[in-house]
Amino acid sequence: MEHPYLFFVKLFEAIGLGHFVHGNVHVVYMWVVMAILILLGWLAGKNTQLVPEPVQNVFEVLVSGLEEFMVGITGEEGRWLFPLAASIFLFVFLGNLIGLVPGFFPPTASLNTTAALALVTVVFTHVIGIKYHGAKYYKHFMGPVWWMVPIILPIELIGHAARILSLSFRLFGNMMGHELVLGILFALAGAFFAPLPIMALGIFVALVQAFVFFLLSVMYFTGAMEHAH
Amino acid sequence: MKKETSKTIRELAYYSSLGLSVALSIFIGLFIGIWLDGKFDTKPVLTMLFLGLGIAAGFRNLLMAAKRSRKL
Repeated sequence: MEHPYLFFVKLFEAIGLGHFVHGNVHVVYMWVVMAILILLGWLAGKNTQLVPEPVQNVFEVLVSGLEEFMVGITGEEGRWLFPLAASIFLFVFLGNLIGLVPGFFPPTASLNTTAALALVTVVFTHVIGIKYHGAKYYKHFMGPVWWMVPIILPIELIGHAARILSLSFRLFGNMMGHELVLGILFALAGAFFAPLPIMALGIFVALVQAFVFFLLSVMYFTGAMEHAH
Repeated sequence: MKKETSKTIRELAYYSSLGLSVALSIFIGLFIGIWLDGKFDTKPVLTMLFLGLGIAAGFRNLLMAAKRSRKL
């Protein structure tokens, strides 16, 4: 669904890149989210002090809370995974939330973005598995007894494909549906502030979806670190 | 965040994602079967086989969740 007025699309049209931008709205808005995140990170880490400034304070609460939560799931050995998990959370959260600003398009409402995130996550679980178990990682796919291998192996492969699809489809479906509902309500009764309750709900949806994505990727990482069942 | 609340949130997210993964596993199996049948010209055999495997994969997710909930 193309929005009536997208701020950055108009900006790119003005400098003569309109052809590129109309097919790749989510890419442009992903750059916007990246720029905001980089700016916030720079502001937070510019001069770190013992008594923090507001931006540093917010980031400290957010990052330490997430880290505590994640270590509660993975255990102490999974602390090195925190940078990937936290950047997934921050990116998805800000990407969802930016859709509430008029003239902005959430990059997570495109299947390309969410599939990329899900692919990174699921491929990285196998990297973790190989790092922790070496060549014995194949036992995760083989089941307990040797004669069950022809049954267990396809089941496991289907399960891993379902991980990619469920991660990407859930986020995409929620954000796309949110955008669609907002658009329809705005066209039907925009003058009576009909989309307003849905926008309030959108804040909640943005938080929950980002959190679910973060939590499930952390759980997949934990599953790869465990011994074969 | 308190320990109990974080555990509740974790389980809420895990179990709410369970249904979607069951449905998707079944459909992945079905579509792999249909695709392979188109390749090898063995009309219903591989579709049925992979549909069965997909259903098994979906229910394996449920079994894993049951096992996890007993351990917690």
